[in-house]
Amino acid sequence: MILSGALLILFFALCFTGIALAVVLPQRHGSFALAVVASLAAAAITGLGGIVLLSGNSFQCPLWTIPELGTLSLSIDRLSALFLVSAGAVFLAASVFSNAYMQRYVGHYSLRSFSILYYALLLSVTLVLITGDVLAFLIAWEAMAILSYLLVNYEHEREKNIYAGWLMLALSEMGTMAAAFSLLLLANHAHSMSFAGFRGAFHDFGPGMRWAIFLLSFFGFGVKAGLVPFSVWLPRAHPAATANISAVLSGVILNLGLYGIVRVNLDFLPISLPGPGLVVLIVGSVSALIGILYATVENDLKTMLAHSSIENMGLITAALGAGFVFAVDGHTVIASIAFVAALYQMTNHSLYKSLLFLGAGTVDMRAGQRNMDKLGGLMKFMPWTALFLLVGALAISALPPFNGFVSEWLILQSLLRSVELNSIAIGTVFAFCAAALALTAGLVITCFTKAFSMIFLGLPRSPQVEEASEATPSMTVPMGVLAVLCLVLGVAPTWVIPVLDGALAPYAVSGATQALVPPFLNPATPGLPPDFVHDFHDLGAQIGAGIVPASGLVVLHRGGARNPVVFAMSTAYMLVVLVLLLAIVFAVVRFWLARGRTAVRRPLWAGGIQQLRPEMTYTATGYSSPVSVIFNAILHPGAAPETREVIYEHFRTEIRRGDREESHILDRLIFTPLAQGAMAIGNLCAKMHNGKLNTYVTYVLIVLLAVLLIR
Amino acid sequence: MSRWVLSGLKTGIKTTHYPAQQEIHAGVSPGLPVTGSAEGRTAEICPTAALTSSEGRIEVNYRRCIHCFRCVRSAESAPLDWQQGYEWAARAADRPALETGAFGRSLNVLVVDAGDCGACLSEIAQLTNPYYNIHRLGFFITPTPRNADVLLVVGPATDQMRAALKKAYDAMPEPRRVVAAGVCALSGGIFGPSLVSGAGAADVVPVDVEVPGCPPPPLAILHGLLVAVERKPSAFLSSPSAPANPVEAAP
Repeated sequence: MILSGALLILFFALCFTGIALAVVLPQRHGSFALAVVASLAAAAITGLGGIVLLSGNSFQCPLWTIPELGTLSLSIDRLSALFLVSAGAVFLAASVFSNAYMQRYVGHYSLRSFSILYYALLLSVTLVLITGDVLAFLIAWEAMAILSYLLVNYEHEREKNIYAGWLMLALSEMGTMAAAFSLLLLANHAHSMSFAGFRGAFHDFGPGMRWAIFLLSFFGFGVKAGLVPFSVWLPRAHPAATANISAVLSGVILNLGLYGIVRVNLDFLPISLPGPGLVVLIVGSVSALIGILYATVENDLKTMLAHSSIENMGLITAALGAGFVFAVDGHTVIASIAFVAALYQMTNHSLYKSLLFLGAGTVDMRAGQRNMDKLGGLMKFMPWTALFLLVGALAISALPPFNGFVSEWLILQSLLRSVELNSIAIGTVFAFCAAALALTAGLVITCFTKAFSMIFLGLPRSPQVEEASEATPSMTVPMGVLAVLCLVLGVAPTWVIPVLDGALAPYAVSGATQALVPPFLNPATPGLPPDFVHDFHDLGAQIGAGIVPASGLVVLHRGGARNPVVFAMSTAYMLVVLVLLLAIVFAVVRFWLARGRTAVRRPLWAGGIQQLRPEMTYTATGYSSPVSVIFNAILHPGAAPETREVIYEHFRTEIRRGDREESHILDRLIFTPLAQGAMAIGNLCAKMHNGKLNTYVTYVLIVLLAVLLIR
Repeated sequence: MSRWVLSGLKTGIKTTHYPAQQEIHAGVSPGLPVTGSAEGRTAEICPTAALTSSEGRIEVNYRRCIHCFRCVRSAESAPLDWQQGYEWAARAADRPALETGAFGRSLNVLVVDAGDCGACLSEIAQLTNPYYNIHRLGFFITPTPRNADVLLVVGPATDQMRAALKKAYDAMPEPRRVVAAGVCALSGGIFGPSLVSGAGAADVVPVDVEVPGCPPPPLAILHGLLVAVERKPSAFLSSPSAPANPVEAAP
């Protein structure tokens, strides 16, 4: 408790020191000071979150009382501590990365204002997570929203960025209003502005009120989390933002939306109807599918990553929705597994997405290009960045032994447990959502093999790429640390799951640890059926018993008495087997097949052409073309609006094509009709004003009559 | 479909028995001139200068002969002897011999069209049809030099194809063999050397086996491949240096 308080004070002190330094120091030292102080501050909140998360002692601290509005307070429980740790880790990496990265803006944009806004964002994000009452939460939330808008709009001289910023701000404000409304409804009923007063205060709510608060809060926080259909700001904001802010945006700000959803629907007003849970599940699945479809066909690296963030948020939300439905249906253990899977995916997404965004920034900075059709062959010039981005791509593609595999596997497994549900209708929805998520998981691999291969393999497709060089250590080291974290979270799920379960302990009705991470067993373990222990032994969970302390290396769902082990896997063993297999293959090739032979390097064979030009090689557009053809109905890549042939003396010398007009499915189905409807109503209203005095006199008369009649 | 199967079964196997037995059907080869009396204007009427007279006999250079039959049918000369065989391929004397079993039991052939007129290619295309069916011998046409054992070159190696030919050869792993098929690939034929082409593939890559003919019939090319892997003895590229495999064939 004392250590937590000290760390919190240290954090605030560091932030204000940083702001003071940014004001005082000359601009050329600005980025170094930013990197040092902000990373220390981020380390402080990571430490603070870590202490609370691991010790389980929540931190409470009343600040000051405002008459009429109650007491402002700080409160860190394990759930907020989990979000705090992942936010701190992302901020830590992004801050170190800023040192070299922000140099590119020196002399053009004010580094001073960037630093001040960055510290303010760090402060407001932390406050959103640690405030314990509605008023402070809303103030921090609003500050966070505006600061993230200002930071996204940092390169404000580009017209596109201004539009992206406005869109982001407008949607964010809409969401904030809805979220504020739902929180105030809760506060009104609980007669308390403090979150502590919310708990257990709403037993007498009817379904109408529950639906209203669910819809308002889900919309409000869902906008921030980038869920369909209000995800449209995300793919526009990311390309506008600088790389470190993109990392923070995807790794931290989106999580805050999830934090809101989890807080309201798990903590304040636990969902007790299957409907809201299904809404969450469906919105999540649709977000995941739409996100990944657009990510796969997108060629701008950062826009692609933004679409992929929508996909990941969709996955997390779908898992949360499945958890809500399971909890309502009475399957508390499976619900806990789904919640653990969602939080696991959330943590993983923070890590690998910030890694990928930092990598994208490095590529953008060093090769001067984000378009995958123009990059290529960067592995030769930037080996470390390539390695770390490869790790990020493998992790996000959910390939073992990296962290994405564990969480996506758990999400899909928990969705497949829909066989336990009592209602066939709900089971059908689950089946469709599980199919959508499985399709998503497949497309992610297409998407990220494309990204990695088009950027790092093959031939350089533009002259700047050939001049690229490896980034400085202050840019590669943060990426390396994040890559290592991706591996650690991937091979040690049995250590991570109890921590996540602990974060959920007060809310989920039953713990998942007991069902997912069994301790080492022997046939004599009391309280377990011998059959189960026997099965468990067959899985090899006792192999590390003498070496590894506490829990085993196998994640498994014990299931019921009828079917003891429902699913099981172990990424740690997978890693061992993978390494062994690679070593065996290497040994066989090296010492047996290649015995007495020498490897000879021959020039690249490209069909005997004079010179292999980059234009002849596979492009990113070509790679994703099958996907865009199959999903043509959704992606709808508009045909060229105009094709003109240039005919010169009977010969067609040229075909001129207009640019392809692509419209996002959400724009096409939702926002364009909405805008058109609003315009139509506006035009109808405009007809009232025809400029004739007689008409206006008539209006006055009608109003007068109406008032008299109503009276 | 069923008719196709039935008619196939009814037809039976028609594949040639070469190289186990000699092929004796008419029309598998146009044949080549052997030698003959140098009386009259025999040497002069040859359009490709394949014939030279020495000591009253005609000597035939198979690197140039396009078997146009002029020397046989012309009224101005005594008709030359003609042989109907097809085992024409000869191993270049200056190339090292193959290690025993170097290619194992199969052979992958990369065909490079170094500017041919299409005749040689059409004969090569015959090799994979049911009649010649080189797959039964473990010979396969491959599209890439990376796993090719034999480079089968046709055409006079035009200037545009020189680099490609060299690259294909360079991209092949050792051990490798080059079979040049058709007189164009041996000497430039009726095209080269000229302003756009060289005098055959030997200018660009070291040729191991030469298959004369314009175009060489499929069996001659097959003989070339068999010579390349030393499963058949080599023939000679000029007459009458040695008898060029006289085979008694139906006229």
